[in-house]
Parts: sequence; C-alpha cells; structure tokens
Amino acid sequence: MFLASTSFWLDQVVNGLTIGSMYALIALGYTMVYGVLKMINFAHGEVFMLGSYAGFGVLVAFGGESIAGPMVVLAIAAAFVGAALASASVSVVLERVAYRPLRNAPRLAPLITAIGASIFLQFLVLDVTGAKASFYPRIFPSGSIEVGAFRITYLQLFLVGCSVAMMLFLYIVVQRTAVGRSIRAVAENRTAASLMGIDVDRAIVTTFVLGAAMAGVAGVLWGLFFLQVRGSMGFLPGIKAFTAAVLGGIGSIPGAMVGGYFLGLAETVGREALSAIPGLNFPNEWRDVIAFSLLVLVLLFRPTGIFGELVSRRA
Amino acid sequence: MRTPGSRRRTWVLLLALAAVLSLALVACGGDDEEGGESAAGFKTITIQAGQPIKIGISSAISGDLESLGVPIAQAAELAGKDVQIEGFSIEFVRRDDLCSSEGGVNAATQLIQEGVVAVVGPICSSSVVAAQPEYERAGITHISPSATAVVVVEPARGKPYVTTLRIPANDGLQGIAQAKFAYEKLGARTAYIVHDTDVYGTGLADSFAKEFERLGGRILGRDGYEKRTTDFSAVVTKIQAQNPDLVYHSGFYAEATPFIQQLRRALPQVKFLSGDGVRDDEFLRGAGRDAEGAYLSQPSPPAPGPEFDAFKQKFQEAYGSDPSDSPFTAEAYDAATVIIRALQEVAKKDGNNLRIDLRKLNEAMRKQKFTGASGPVEFGENGDNIGKAGIEISFYVVRNGKFEPVQ
Repeated sequence: MFLASTSFWLDQVVNGLTIGSMYALIALGYTMVYGVLKMINFAHGEVFMLGSYAGFGVLVAFGGESIAGPMVVLAIAAAFVGAALASASVSVVLERVAYRPLRNAPRLAPLITAIGASIFLQFLVLDVTGAKASFYPRIFPSGSIEVGAFRITYLQLFLVGCSVAMMLFLYIVVQRTAVGRSIRAVAENRTAASLMGIDVDRAIVTTFVLGAAMAGVAGVLWGLFFLQVRGSMGFLPGIKAFTAAVLGGIGSIPGAMVGGYFLGLAETVGREALSAIPGLNFPNEWRDVIAFSLLVLVLLFRPTGIFGELVSRRA
Repeated sequence: MRTPGSRRRTWVLLLALAAVLSLALVACGGDDEEGGESAAGFKTITIQAGQPIKIGISSAISGDLESLGVPIAQAAELAGKDVQIEGFSIEFVRRDDLCSSEGGVNAATQLIQEGVVAVVGPICSSSVVAAQPEYERAGITHISPSATAVVVVEPARGKPYVTTLRIPANDGLQGIAQAKFAYEKLGARTAYIVHDTDVYGTGLADSFAKEFERLGGRILGRDGYEKRTTDFSAVVTKIQAQNPDLVYHSGFYAEATPFIQQLRRALPQVKFLSGDGVRDDEFLRGAGRDAEGAYLSQPSPPAPGPEFDAFKQKFQEAYGSDPSDSPFTAEAYDAATVIIRALQEVAKKDGNNLRIDLRKLNEAMRKQKFTGASGPVEFGENGDNIGKAGIEISFYVVRNGKFEPVQ
C-alpha cells in the first residue's frame, strides 16, 4: 500500500459524496413508497433510467453539444423538469396498473409485480434502443475549485448542491404543507387517515410522484456526470439506493438521505480506509461486496436502520 | 429489547453459517472431475426429411454487448446461406447468452433442447467456461469465434473439454504482446491495471502483468470492476495518486467508455492501452474525444487475403455494412464454416432422413484445416487454433475518431 496523501483522501470523500448524493435522491423514492404502502417499489431504478432518458431528450432538443453560454442553465433546468415529469408520469401509471389493484393483496404480490414492472421497463427500453447507449452532450463547464488540498469540480459541486436542494425541498413539502401532512397521516395509519377525510389514493399517488421526480432529477445528474444512458443503467443504482434506504431506516426520509451519503462514502473512502490497514487490500471490485455486506449487517443487527424507529414500533 | 445473550447467539449463528458455507465450498472443489473424454455424451441425431439441419448460435443478442454479438451472429449465418447438405438446408438458431456465465448456460440448455448439431459460440470467455460442461454432457461441439481467455482450453481442473474449439488466438499471446508493446513501443515503465473481473478481463490482465514485470516494468496497482459499473471515480483517484506511465485496461467497451472519460478528466495525458473487447465502434462513438490517443490491441486481425475479401463482399451485400467495423466477424464466419465442412463429411442419408453422428462430427471438426476469412484454421489437441500460434497481434491507436493501425 502506498502512502496516501491528504488530497487523496479528500478526493475520495468528494467521490463518495458525489455518488452518495445520487443514491440519496433515488433512495427517497424507495423510502417514501415504503412509508405509505409498506412495499418496495423495485421498478424505481427504471423510473430513474427513464428520467435520465427524458432529460437526454430535452438536452438534444435544446441543441445537444452546441448548447453554450446562458442556454446551458436553461437547458439543464428544462432537462430537470422534463425528467421529473416523465418519471412522475411513468410512476403514476405504474401505481395505477401494477400496484393499486393489489393494494389489499398479501404483501408479496405487489413486490412481485414491482419486479415484473422493473424487468418489463428495462427490456422495453433495451429493445427500443437496440441496447445501444446514448451519450449526454458535454455542456457542463469543466474546471474545479481548489482550496489547499481540497478539490472539487464544478460538476461535482453542482451535483451535490442540487441533491441537497432537492432533499430540502422534499423535506419542506412533507413536513410543512397540507399535501405532506396527508402523506404522513396515510403512512401512520391508512384507515384512520381515510376516516379523517384524507383522500388516501391521492396521497399515495402524490408520494409516487414526489419520489419519482427525485429519481428523474437524479437521472439527469447521473447523465451529466457519467455522460451515458442505457436501458440497463437503472439496475445497479436502484439496488444501491434501496440499500441506502435500508441503511438509513426504510420509511424515514432523513434516513434515506443519510443512508445514501453513508453508502457512497463507505464504497469509496471506507474501502480505501480498510485497504490502508497493513496486510489488507480491498481493490475496487470489493465495492459492491462492502455495500451489500453493510445491508446484511444492518438487517441482522439493526433492521430498523439508523433512523427507522417507526418501523420498530410498528413491529 | 436485545439482551447481550441474544447478541452472542447471533454471532454463534453467523459463525456456524460461515463454517457451513466454507465446507460447502471445499466440497464443491473436491469432486469436480468434469472434462475429459469419458464425460462427452455423443449421440446420433436424425433429421426428418424436409426439416433443416439446425446449427446453434450463442451470442450476445441483446443487452449491453449487443453491438459486439449481433454482427458475430450475422457473420456466422452468412456461412450457411444457400448451403445444401444431402438436400437438407441449414437453419441457424440464435440464443442470447448476454456474455454472462448464467446466460451461457441458459443458451446452451435451450440450444440443446432445440436439437442443434453444433454451436457457434458462446462469444465471451465467461459464458464458454460456464457452458462447457453442458455441451460436453450433451456431446454438442461448440466453436467460439471470440473467446480468447487461456482458461477456455486449459480448464482450472481436469482435462480440456473435447467439445470445445475456438478460432481466435488465446490471450496468453495477446497479453504478452501488449506488455511488450507497452514497455518497448510506448516506453512505459510503470502501469496501473483496471480490469473486468470476469474470466476474460482477469486472464488478460494476468498475462499482461506477468510479462510486463518480466520485462522490468512495475505494476503500481490493480483494480477490478463488475460489468455495468459506471462510477470509476474512486479508481481514477487512486491512479492519479500513483501517477503511472500507462493505464492498462482489460474488459469491454461498455465499461471502458465511462472509465476513459473519467480518467481523462483527471489525467488527460496518461497513456491508455486496452484489448480486443474495446476495439468497437461503440467505444469511439461513446467516448468521443476522450478516446483519442487510446491504444488497442487485437489478435488475429482479418488477414487481407482473398478469403477475407470474399467474406467482406458477401457480408456487405447481405447486411450493407463493413464486417471490419466489429471484431470477430471473420472468425464467426470461419467457425460456422468449420461446422458446415464437417457436416458435409459426416452427414449420411438414411432413407429419406439424415443421420448425423455427433462423435464423428466432433472428430471431423477437429480435423478441419483450411485458410479462412480470419486466417489459418487448424485445431490442436486442446481445441486451440494452432493455425494462429504464430500470428501477430495488431495494435491500433484512436486518431480523429478512427482506429489507425500502429506501425
């Protein structure tokens, strides 16, 4: 093992925060849907993928590689809106077609339709695109901010900033608005909420819409950073975000955010830190092993995750 | 509420689980005596009058490696076009192996059920290694147009599979040539390895590393990745800290594309060398300007002989594209040709039906010796194409969005 410098570790922290903020955004959708329906929406990774494609479409419509100057801001904003709308629409349809008919069925049934919907959407897109990747235009200004040994590119800063802003927005919606209150009421007790005059169906659809919009924005951020979209791209981030949601405590919104960042950091900084112990070496291929071992350990020793007190009280 | 006792019990359970698992692994390792002649279950296949002779194709028909797999399937099918054997036509049956281990086994099972007499494929080393026992058990000879890992013909345990043949040169040669190229041509003294953790990527990286160190070079670090990985930032940070002369990659274009893009953000100048899995137009299209200056190797490039020209013309007529745009098309054509030539020798009329003895077919395939579109074809005892033993490995550099041969 070589002697790593401070800048090496700081770089890895930035890497971890970057990927972690995307995990966190996607994880919100898992955790919110779990909160109200007690189901894991495994098609959420595909909702993210479709959002990424929609954002790609918007950027191409704006001129692709030729977007420059102030148009960049406008194009990216439009891509966010387009992706959020597309993801939300897909999610609403999914809820209507695949989940609502099974709302009172045994809990395994919607889980299975979710997996089915995930496979359907993934292969639909793979078929339509001929499994070829599409490539995001590189419109984001390159360059970075350096303070001493700390270095972050504009793009990474933008990614983390956007995610945090989106999460704050979501938090305010859920905690401070009437819509959010109805979602929380349904999450707590669906029957009681409906007896109090809350439109349960509407609250559930709103939950799906909010979660999907977050995933759509994450899809655009993913595209801007990794520059490619393909039909199979949703699978791994989807599972990672699910892991993040469980780590943070499934059902808890702050939990999903913390879980996302924690997972991102564990995969990068955590793995390097383990490798820094003399006699140990965990090269990059251990990344998924570490992520999913965390999942197993959390499920074994603290199934409620970091913030998931509600679930434990219920159980 | 958890008590200290319950926690201890969980630990005991975990330890017990680990113990059972490791026992299971040891047991698996012990009784694997597959391979060797005794295991091959050759049968005789009878084809009813009016039915076609079915030849299987196991390739990546969908998924991330489709643009590698589909031209290979197309090239193989070309070899059987308009061919009649004793009045029987040839039908190709495509099955998708997705370039994965599980996919390789699934495709094998499906093709065997379809009643194919032989198979072109699987195309990836990992699928070949997984599917070999299936083909051996069924006595179906399969001939890979593109699996280059050494382990394909030299299994980790037991004898080579009788039913496995391949056309391309093996990675032992490619890795050695790459190391020489890196050390002598590119003047690299230090290298950092990033590889796909499958059979192909690992094997190629191993043979590169061994030769590079033998020449006097130093491997500064080594990282693997799973297929579908997009985020290479942690690896790039490691590479940046080591500052090697050369970044060596072995794997496929689907992951090489995001990798080289992220690498170029941090190290715009570092030399990049990869193998045949990346020499694909999709890499150029995806990586764009970041691909510029990347070096790529390719064993057994289509020999520009008359056989290749004839194949190229046929391919262009049939599909309207240049077969050289995608690797291993000429090899796929030759693989199918081996099967068809052997069929012509051993297929026997039986009344109105056609009888094919799979053992004889296997023997006839192994005895084929000719100059094909991809160069000489001749099989050694282990199924390797010894016609390729002395072949050169070609190197390309990406310049202005094209692969240019390096002199």
